[in-house]
Amino acid sequence: MADEKGLQGWAPVISGDMTIERVIDLAFDYRGNTTIVKSDGTEVVGYIFNRNKGVAEPFIQIFDEKGNGPFTLLISQIQAIRFTGKDMAAGNSYAAYMERKQRQKETGIAEPLNALEEEA
Amino acid sequence: MSVPASQMWTVASYVLRQRLTRKKQYPLVLMLEPLFKCNLACAGCGKIQYPAQVLKKNMLLEKALAAMDECGAPMISIAGGEPLLYPQIGELVEGLVERRKYIYLCTNALVLKEKLEQHIFKPSKYFSFSVHMDGIREDHDESVCRDGTYDIATEAIREAIKRGFRVTTNTTLFNTAQPLNVREFFDEMMDLGVEAMMLSPGYSYAKAPDQQHFLHKGETNKLFSEILLNPKKNWKFNQSPLFLQFLMGKQDYECTPWGMPLYNNFGWQRPCYLLQEGYAETYKELLETTPWEQYGKKSGNPKCADCMVHSGYEATAVNATFASFKGFKDTVAATIRGKP
Ligand code: SF4
Repeated sequence: MADEKGLQGWAPVISGDMTIERVIDLAFDYRGNTTIVKSDGTEVVGYIFNRNKGVAEPFIQIFDEKGNGPFTLLISQIQAIRFTGKDMAAGNSYAAYMERKQRQKETGIAEPLNALEEEA
Repeated sequence: MSVPASQMWTVASYVLRQRLTRKKQYPLVLMLEPLFKCNLACAGCGKIQYPAQVLKKNMLLEKALAAMDECGAPMISIAGGEPLLYPQIGELVEGLVERRKYIYLCTNALVLKEKLEQHIFKPSKYFSFSVHMDGIREDHDESVCRDGTYDIATEAIREAIKRGFRVTTNTTLFNTAQPLNVREFFDEMMDLGVEAMMLSPGYSYAKAPDQQHFLHKGETNKLFSEILLNPKKNWKFNQSPLFLQFLMGKQDYECTPWGMPLYNNFGWQRPCYLLQEGYAETYKELLETTPWEQYGKKSGNPKCADCMVHSGYEATAVNATFASFKGFKDTVAATIRGKP
């Protein structure tokens, strides 16, 4: 299994300890888009911002890739999740920040602050 | 300890009303994040690491005002992201002033001067800019990871004060803070003419880039005791004196996570401003369905062990003022003495 710092690109196989509930917890904590595979085989790409396991019908909520939503998906109808989007909180260690700062000082070129600037 | 008298009266009568009606859980300040987008990327902030489609989202104005109406707190702190980038910030503030809510607009002030020139806001006793200032020039620029921000922010503060606005500051301190520098910073802010200052130890955001510099409890007590030892008479704090005593280790409190609830584009955040364990659709649902016993120091939850943030404990301190004669006496004594 990829460790929690390196989930990007991971496509966990649901078996043994790696239950769908465990993958959902990791995906909920992941600061990037994921691809959610539903029981009927259809897929939806989006950011999982909520999960509630303490209700009669546990669910997750997402904003899709275009920002539409929120959409609610029942956990019972999810068969797999792939960590397909960039982890926006990764590579952001303090050391990485200091290196970036040094680079900017040397080159005089500002690097993107966030996903929006990266997109632009 | 300076908070305007009308505001103190509003908050005091609100808290007393809640206590008289024996309400156990009530909000004191609504923390509203109408957007996540920011024009800075501070090393200690874990609020903005989202994919682009989430950063692009702006809360509907009606939803923001409905959240205020639902929770009914007497005060609101508009944060984010950078709230001055929220397209309807003028209308939002206007709607809140109409509701007679005391508003703190938390801003890094990078675009404040520009917004003042556009006449988006009108001065009001209900409305204050709360400018994010983390220390003297060198410390602030280091903390927000961009050179020149201290100068831009102080120029904007001067301009806002000149135009008749209430201006306060909010300061987050990490274990790199030097007490003498912080005291010098207080002098600078008072000289600038800010109304009062708000302090908090750094939040240990799980997603913040800088995980090395968050304060542990003992460090927080030591740092704040050194900073606030023999405070100068002209230093004004926009906080309960009991909360400052708590930061110094002179009071022992349990947190009140529902006291400063957070509402953003995802909903009402469980359990608090700092931890992100899920969302409720309404404030009522947040209160009724969050397993509160799993949070706070007593719970033994390791995520809460070192937490002393104002969003968890300021409401406790305010409540303590009215909960016992001792709390009231301590608050009055600290206010008269002018030191926590
Ligand atoms: S102790 Fe801090 S982190 Fe824990 S619930 Fe209270 S405010 Fe949140």
